[in-house]
Amino acid sequence: MSRGRVRRMNRPLIRKYLSESQLLCLSSALVMFAFCWVRVWLVSLFPADRFRTILEQFRDFERFFPVPFEQMFTYPGRIALTYDEFIVVMCVAVWSIGRGSDCVSGELGRGTMEMLLAQPVSRVKLLFTHATVTAAGTALLALASWLGIYAGIHTTRVEQPVAQPMPQPVWPFPMPGSGMVNQLLEHQGPRVPMSDKVDAAVFWPAAANLFAFGFFLTGLSSLASSCDRYRWRTIGVVSAIYVIQLIVKIVGLASDRHAWMQNTTFFSAYAPERFVSVAVHTPQETWSLIQAGEQGHGFMLGPLGCDVLLIGLGLIAYLGAAVIFARRDLPAPV
Amino acid sequence: MVIETEALTKRYGAISALADCSLRVRPGEVFGLLGPNGAGKTTLLRLLLGFVRPTSGSALINGLDCVHRSLEVRRQVAYLPGEARLFRRMRGRDILRFFADMRPGGSRADSVRLAERLELDVSRRVSAMSTGMRQKLALAVTLSTAAPLLILDEPTSNLDPTVRGTVLELIGEVRRSGRTVLFSSHVLSEVEHVCDRVGILRAGQLVHTQVMSELRQRHRILASVRGPLPEAPALVNGPLSYEVDESGRVVMETPGALSPLLGWLSTLPLEQVQIEPLGLRAIYDRFHGSE
Repeated sequence: MSRGRVRRMNRPLIRKYLSESQLLCLSSALVMFAFCWVRVWLVSLFPADRFRTILEQFRDFERFFPVPFEQMFTYPGRIALTYDEFIVVMCVAVWSIGRGSDCVSGELGRGTMEMLLAQPVSRVKLLFTHATVTAAGTALLALASWLGIYAGIHTTRVEQPVAQPMPQPVWPFPMPGSGMVNQLLEHQGPRVPMSDKVDAAVFWPAAANLFAFGFFLTGLSSLASSCDRYRWRTIGVVSAIYVIQLIVKIVGLASDRHAWMQNTTFFSAYAPERFVSVAVHTPQETWSLIQAGEQGHGFMLGPLGCDVLLIGLGLIAYLGAAVIFARRDLPAPV
Repeated sequence: MVIETEALTKRYGAISALADCSLRVRPGEVFGLLGPNGAGKTTLLRLLLGFVRPTSGSALINGLDCVHRSLEVRRQVAYLPGEARLFRRMRGRDILRFFADMRPGGSRADSVRLAERLELDVSRRVSAMSTGMRQKLALAVTLSTAAPLLILDEPTSNLDPTVRGTVLELIGEVRRSGRTVLFSSHVLSEVEHVCDRVGILRAGQLVHTQVMSELRQRHRILASVRGPLPEAPALVNGPLSYEVDESGRVVMETPGALSPLLGWLSTLPLEQVQIEPLGLRAIYDRFHGSE
């Protein structure tokens, strides 16, 4: 780290923020790593071609999936779904909202802001240092997810597909203990290392998108925190925004009439499975800002474009937070 | 002037927390702020630190505007909040280290030495400290700095009498080192003991400023006199004020030293006389006597 950059931050503050956040950060990173590893191992249990049998049952609901079903019949496509798993998204959301909400309203609520700002440190520097430490933590979580997938890919073996008739869709859905599930789990071909079939590098865009998503959430939380004096209320406000945006995305996906709503939710810029698909099928567009729209109509944001959008929105939120925090009156500790 | 405020005002809606406060504190002075809760003492201190923005008026510290040059102001100020809250997960020694490192020229050794003088166990976590221990820790943080101005908001609250004495000694040492102290308190005896000048606030207004050296010269004379009171001699510091209380005693307050009056007093047809230092309480009660 250059000396100038450290001057823009503050060493004692960095140490303080690191010590405050290390438990949450390291435990979240460990969960991310372990979960992603296990998730890849679970994928390895179900041969890709036979997974089609299960998924075909849900063809009517394909619109709710971020990528076409054909993508999910492949190992990379199914592994990419890891980034949409509740645990992964929650780990990042809890970290981002938890840390972002702490920067102003957390210190105010605990009454520690007065002693902190009685020192010769500007409010903007305080916010910038906090943001830097939190962004580093978000990057660590994204890296942990990728490392978990990398470890999973390099430690599991998958069945080599053998030519066999396409299984017919069945209903009811195969339940644990049914013959169908046993059939899915049966090994019918030679097993090869998953790394022969999947290149872990195709998941970098997904990990980057996860980082951008976390960065945006941290910026949004910091903005809410800079206006407030109670951390619980900040968390409540950001959680409410999160849920509303999620509902907007679902409604936008559910009906063509409301498809425009997808453009009003930040969840539309979080599409790690699509970016893995891009990395697999059109590697030259892995880090593109824009790419051709569906069926070649118009344009849509590419993997890098979505990341830039999320990080840009996060930076705008941080800027707003800095302006509000620098100008506001600090309430006396209660 | 180290501190200079001009018609400093802070309003919260219809409530005026501080109104037209014009105050000057000279270098090397210990200036006390007195007033009941809600009088505006803490608001004034927080305005000086730049924690809140004034509604109108200005505040300067060493010529630096407290709003626009707050960072430079805080380089020159060490502040102890009225209820100092510290990071609960840290140990005492980590707190001392953190704040010493935050301030250019801060000394960990000095703050540890001061903590020892205040008989504080710095190995404990803040969360495991009593209120008094936390106050000592905050005092060690604040008083160990080399800042030319110390702003202390009720520094002796939550402390036992022995440590209170130590804190007053420390403030005296700060003054002897030529630094300036702005000191808010409810304890009149402490203010009387350490301050050079005192400002009394009432309902957000600075209603009186008292030079303590003058106050120490002033006396109250309670006398029962036979017959009418003859005219008092002319005094350098102003006329002798007097009134008759309910019991018929004459209560006189000297505007300055007592000695010029002693000759005159000896000529009075006195039945009974009592002479006592005027004290800060008498001044304070003039403005807050009914509260």
